Order: sequence, then structure tokens, then C-alpha cells
Amino acid sequence: MVNNYIAEPLRMYSTCPVSDGAAAVLLVNMDSPKVKDFRKKPVRIAGVASATDTHCVHNRKDPLRLDAVRLAAEKAYKMAGVGPKDISFAELHDAFTILELAISEEVGFFERGTSFLAVRKGETEIDGRLPINTSGGLKSKGHPVGATGVSQAVELVRQLRGEAEEGRQVKNPRYGMSVNFGGFGNNVVALICAKD
Amino acid sequence: MIDFSMYGAKAPTIKAYKCLTCGTVYYPAPMVCGKCSARRDPVTGKGWETFDLEGSCVLLTWTRVWNLPEGYTEKYLLFGIVQFENGLRASGQLEVEEPKTGMKLNATVKESDERPGQPVNVFVFKE
Repeated sequence: MVNNYIAEPLRMYSTCPVSDGAAAVLLVNMDSPKVKDFRKKPVRIAGVASATDTHCVHNRKDPLRLDAVRLAAEKAYKMAGVGPKDISFAELHDAFTILELAISEEVGFFERGTSFLAVRKGETEIDGRLPINTSGGLKSKGHPVGATGVSQAVELVRQLRGEAEEGRQVKNPRYGMSVNFGGFGNNVVALICAKD
Repeated sequence: MIDFSMYGAKAPTIKAYKCLTCGTVYYPAPMVCGKCSARRDPVTGKGWETFDLEGSCVLLTWTRVWNLPEGYTEKYLLFGIVQFENGLRASGQLEVEEPKTGMKLNATVKESDERPGQPVNVFVFKE
């Protein structure tokens, strides 16, 4: 199959398609007495945080770092009272192949420069130590820009409720994390959902 | 050297900004100085001065873009990020045969009218 360069070294299959799509979640107050009447138990938002970075990539000290991702993740971990080691699976904004690797290092899943080794070892596969992008990620399912972040939250809910299709379900997940961003890490939102 | 004044036109330039409170330079313009928090009014520009960003620079990184937007007729274009002697960084088109990280370049500015809409001034980095 033809896999032409888009911007070297990224080729077509390293790049997400921009597609149409929609996603929705229902936000409810977990303390509401009505919650017990819901047919399905809600998933708890344990931590959510956002951070911003410079608009121009050339203004960053190191263009390979995503400072806003690190800051948003740190704040979300603090709010949730957990750390990277507690996360069972993650949905990361992989509009391009490199981003899944870079984000997974910034949020503390892997040491800097080692995420590709973890991928090679299969650690991020569905039966690996830390499954990443169980939904297929942006590259596989598409990137309907306005719906992408919510679709990540939908995947967290499905996984934490054990509702994902066979072969796509993570085993006994406790915490799921999503990282979504606009631009090139200009505006980042990190979300941690918990099953309890 | 073409005398643009005969057409009533000016040579294209790209401006960098200097905060007069603390002397920090920026490109592009910030709304607030990252060092001393002085605000920049985009209308009056009071408390800030502008200067042309051009001349000697060093190539920090580059790529070859094959998937160009509508309007471009080239097969590909080279794009790079450079650092000027005053520490400012900028990105723009790269017109060199064999780009190499760390190579010395000269930044010029041209008016680009390839894209639909108003022409814009862009950097072109040459050897």
C-alpha cells in the first residue's frame, strides 16, 4: 500500500483522518439521591485539569516537550489522589504517531525516550501492562475535532463499566485516563475517571 | 536592489516586539510580557517598540512538507525553525539545497499570495 510522506518523517498512516463524528456524556451529581435509580452506575470523575502552552511551537524551549500535557496531568493526578502507576488504561490524543509516544512520557507512564520500547514490548496493547488507545485512538477511529475529547471520555466510561466489545475490554480497570488537546499541545485537558 | 518606493509599495517585513519596561524581546507579539507582566495594547502599542526581524540565524530543526495546502504548485516545501542572534526563534520556508541542523542562514521576508485570501508576509531562510 502507498504510504507517502506528509511531513517528513511522518507518513500518511502516521496521520489521523479528519472526520465527522459525535459523542455525548451525561454529567450528574454523584451525591444526588436519583443516582441510585440509574440503570447503570455512573463512573466517577476523579480528576480533571487543563493547562496551556505557547501558541507557536518555535517559542518553546524544547519543541519535543509538551509542558501543558505534563502540567494538566500533574494537576489531575493531584485532584484524583493517584499517580501514573495507578492508571489501568489510557486514551491519548494521537493525531500523529509521535504524539502518543510523547504524551505517554509527559504524563509519567514511561521514562523520557523509552515509550517506543514499551510499545515494542507490547506493554501498551490490550493485554499489556498499560493498554493505550483501546478505542483505536484518533489515527484509527478518526478525529472529529470537536467530538474527540468527549469520545475519549465515552471510552473511559465503557471500559470502566466493562462494556467494551470482546477483545477490546481491559481486564478489571480501576482508573482510566484521557488526554486531549488543541493545536500542538496549546490547550490540554487531562481527565481521570474511576470505578468505585 | 529594486526601488519599491516608485510603486508606492514597501518591502515586506515581519516585526518583532520589545518590552520597554524590561527589555525582553518577542516574536510574535505577546499580549503580556512573560518576564515583567507589562501589558501590550495592540492598538496603541504604548510601552513597546517594534523592529524588523531578519538577518543572520541558525537552523534548529526542519521538515519537508509534501501535503501542501490549496494554492501551492510546488511538489513540496521545506520548513524550518531558526534562532536569531538576539535569541528569538521563528519558523518559515527554507530555501536551501541540503538543510542541516545547526547551519547558518539568512532570514528574509517575502509576500506570499499562494493561499486564497489576503497575501501574508512569510520568512524565507536562505544560505
